[in-house]
Amino acid sequence: MKVTYNWLKDFVEIKIPPRDLANKLTMSGLEVISLEEKGGDFIFEIEITSNRPDWLSVVGIAREVAAITGAKLKKQKSLSLTKNRKAKDIALAIEDKSDCPLYTARIIRNVKVAPSASWLKSRLELVGCRSVNNIVDITNYVLFELGEPLHAFDLDKLNKERIVVRRAHPGEKITTIDGIQRVLSKEQLVIADGIKTVAIAGVMGAKDSEVSINTKNVLLEAAVFNPLIVRRGRQALGLQSEASYRFERGVDIEAVERASLRAAELIKEYASGEEIAFKAVGLSKAKSRIINLDVADVTRILGLNIPVAKIKKNLSGLGFGVKSKSKNTLAVSTPSFRQDVSLKEDLIEEVSRIFGYERIPVSLPAIKSCVSIRGKRGLVSEVKNILTGLGLSEVATYSLTDRASLAGLELGFSNEPIEILNPLSQEQEVLRTTLIPGLTSVVAFNLNQKQEYIPIFEVANVYLRDTNHPKEELMLGLALSGAQPVLLNNGALKDEVSLLNLKGMLETLFSRLGIKDYEFNSTLGSEIVEIYAQRNKIGSMSRLSNSGCAKSNIKNKNVFLAELSLDKVLSIACTDKKFISPPRYPGITRDISFILKEDISVKDILKLFKQTGVPLLQSVRIADYYKGKQIPSGFKGLTLTCFYSSVERTLKEDEIQPLHTQFCERLTKEFGVKMR
Amino acid sequence: MDINAIYTQIDLDLQGISSPEGLEQFRLKYLGRKGVVAELTSVIPTLSKEERAAFGKLANALKNKLVSLIEEKEKTLLGSAQENKSSVCDIGMPGIVRELGQLHPLTRITDEICDIFNQLGFSIVEGPEIETEYNNFTGLNIPLEHPSREAFDTFYIKDYAKMLLRSHTSPVQVRAMKSGKPPLAIVVPGRVYRPDAVDASHSFMFHQIEGFMVDKGIKFSDLKGILEIFAKTIFGKDIKMRFRPHFFPFTEPSAEVDISCIICKGKGCSVCGRKGWLEILGSGLIHPNVLKHVGIDAQVYTGFAFGMGVERIAMLKYGINDIRLFFENDLRFLKQF
Repeated sequence: MKVTYNWLKDFVEIKIPPRDLANKLTMSGLEVISLEEKGGDFIFEIEITSNRPDWLSVVGIAREVAAITGAKLKKQKSLSLTKNRKAKDIALAIEDKSDCPLYTARIIRNVKVAPSASWLKSRLELVGCRSVNNIVDITNYVLFELGEPLHAFDLDKLNKERIVVRRAHPGEKITTIDGIQRVLSKEQLVIADGIKTVAIAGVMGAKDSEVSINTKNVLLEAAVFNPLIVRRGRQALGLQSEASYRFERGVDIEAVERASLRAAELIKEYASGEEIAFKAVGLSKAKSRIINLDVADVTRILGLNIPVAKIKKNLSGLGFGVKSKSKNTLAVSTPSFRQDVSLKEDLIEEVSRIFGYERIPVSLPAIKSCVSIRGKRGLVSEVKNILTGLGLSEVATYSLTDRASLAGLELGFSNEPIEILNPLSQEQEVLRTTLIPGLTSVVAFNLNQKQEYIPIFEVANVYLRDTNHPKEELMLGLALSGAQPVLLNNGALKDEVSLLNLKGMLETLFSRLGIKDYEFNSTLGSEIVEIYAQRNKIGSMSRLSNSGCAKSNIKNKNVFLAELSLDKVLSIACTDKKFISPPRYPGITRDISFILKEDISVKDILKLFKQTGVPLLQSVRIADYYKGKQIPSGFKGLTLTCFYSSVERTLKEDEIQPLHTQFCERLTKEFGVKMR
Repeated sequence: MDINAIYTQIDLDLQGISSPEGLEQFRLKYLGRKGVVAELTSVIPTLSKEERAAFGKLANALKNKLVSLIEEKEKTLLGSAQENKSSVCDIGMPGIVRELGQLHPLTRITDEICDIFNQLGFSIVEGPEIETEYNNFTGLNIPLEHPSREAFDTFYIKDYAKMLLRSHTSPVQVRAMKSGKPPLAIVVPGRVYRPDAVDASHSFMFHQIEGFMVDKGIKFSDLKGILEIFAKTIFGKDIKMRFRPHFFPFTEPSAEVDISCIICKGKGCSVCGRKGWLEILGSGLIHPNVLKHVGIDAQVYTGFAFGMGVERIAMLKYGINDIRLFFENDLRFLKQF
């Protein structure tokens, strides 16, 4: 809403400069977004909150200015009615009073349509309204000044001086003033004459009955339409106007007649029209509420003591009727233009707004602390810290995506995604069922930016169909690509990542979360590795397939991806630590080097150690792994470091020897390894 | 045994020692349990009284000499080892390390904000992103068909009646107040969605933090006190704050909170639109209708609530000028935090 300094001065005496006024308005709830000096005047652009339709007018803002600056509103001259006017000329009918509580029509004859006087033109232009002609401009002027939308019809274009306010017939057509033909439905309320529809009530008039340069006689409409009907109607048409904006928020029923009169007076003065008839149908009084305000409540709610006299003054300055009911109770009646006020809290806001929020002191509430449980959020935070410690950077990608991005993935759930009813674009058509496409596109983006090493993760929800209620599942996604450049003591190294890097990170994560019983299972003929914990599948990982790379425009790079249900991981996490005494006695390590068939998994070798339970053998670690010239093809070389120790004593060499020989024999027997 | 021969041998042996291990062997050879000195002294009981005294003296001298020689040699070995090292290590080389990853800036800010409120006694609670129309609107005193809903344009989902992607974190207020009894002090971080066209300052997905407190005797001045601690902790204790009257359907009285511009310190610059102030959050006392909806007696209890955009706070704090950077995930951006 735009309003000018001089226009406000028509209604209220202002003794402070525009900048100070702007600041005061902002601090009382009318946020001045901009203040501009133009044409010898100052334009205030103000953000009006949706609860205050009364502020969508110069007079409404002037009322506020008076209240916050302590100035008096200027007395407006009373508008006189024409003596010899008659009412019977106009036939007015409202089909449903709940759609249109009040409709007034005024007939003005012998107008001279011409360009507006320059003062009128420039005021309208300053508040951003285009000048059309004197009649239309006057209706707009009154709209801005008093907040009451008016409409002027060319009376001679109407059939039989008859007005009906009714719902549109389904399929009914109207060409509005903006030249667009619109098809109406029962949603819209219309103004019709005896034969045709002449306006969409409260939204826009019809082209063929608009005031033109040839107009001689005018029917001036001033009315109140049901806010919801105007809102639904204009939404269905995708249309908005200054009039509908105000009707939707609610106009002051008690100011309708005054607005009509004000326009008639201006038309008489600037378009030499002669008012000859006026008719009103409907209510012209608004409901007034009486709210009891206990002064103690003001202090209780604000934490500030405001004297009763001040409370009274602030409220009456805003147009409320204030009477003392008892020493500390006020009976406050609401003016017709304040339909937003219905509770004592509303009044307390009004009082404090005018008194100034800055005068409310600062205090701290008594906090009743409760036992704080770290819960899921704490665990998620721990997971993130472990992963960043492993060199992964956290990313955040959109939960909404296009359907195509979820198709043909090796990883992730391929369930039918939940669709968005009203997406703005295709990229928002569904809720994602997996984090994989988001991570892949982040990898692609960073490869494009020539990043050598891309280690990332995301923790976010996926959204799955379920019978009654959609399901949200918290997921962890990881992606690795490229090579990490490492400078070591003996020179530079390019550590090209593989699926084992991902595995290592997940193993570290599981270990830190106290998850012991997990497995990485590859399926024959597939690159997908399924991850199990406590015998339940919790996720999977894989290299991004060639087709996947092509789809994401990734060339000549390997991308490794993993996705796990974090909800499942956290449900089995066990972060309670139990102390185990570290070994007091030194142990003995023995290395075994051997070659074995390439298709035997290292996992099975390690499993043997767990199953056979060699006494005193505490751990078996892969110390080296090699393929190449020294190894016959079809075989691989492996060095295991076996660690023997006892919690009771220092072990002797000859004690270990038979145990170690036994373990080596088991290896030879089970897997046919050849010792080197 | 010829003592002099021993001294000569000692000299020879010492010259050949270049490592601590070698020195240890040397020590064992001469001072060990079966070493040269022990061997020498073992003959003492066989000697006559006079011989004993003289021989004992010699043996003792030898022992002391050896101890001081070993100490000396130890020092030179240690010194040369240090020299050795510094000659191969150019400390101008970058240190050897595997890089750490980093948390997303939105996670960092969210944690920072939640920690502040946590320390003030607030619990952290999360809620679902797919919400009911009731929790997102009606329960919060937002009529379904009213211009006040326009600030909360919403994505609806198909196949589930009256379900939507929450357009703010406030529905968790409704959930928490229904399931818990006052006193309540809760903060709610989370993702929210609004069908906004994406540009430098708008995103259809963003993050919010909601906070509220309900108890007997909660008042507007308490809201001011809590938010002052929050804003000064995040933006520095020198910032100024102001509470501006505003309208939110779920609070009454309502206020928007501004801080003095952290760029120009209130003088007016392009970041604050020459106003000198930056809006950081919306707040107010919980509307009696909201309390009524969840079955809390508004005559007995009052409460305050506030909500802020995490991206906005992060953008102001770090000077980020485009909201899209948070979701583009350029590693060169992420690594700055």
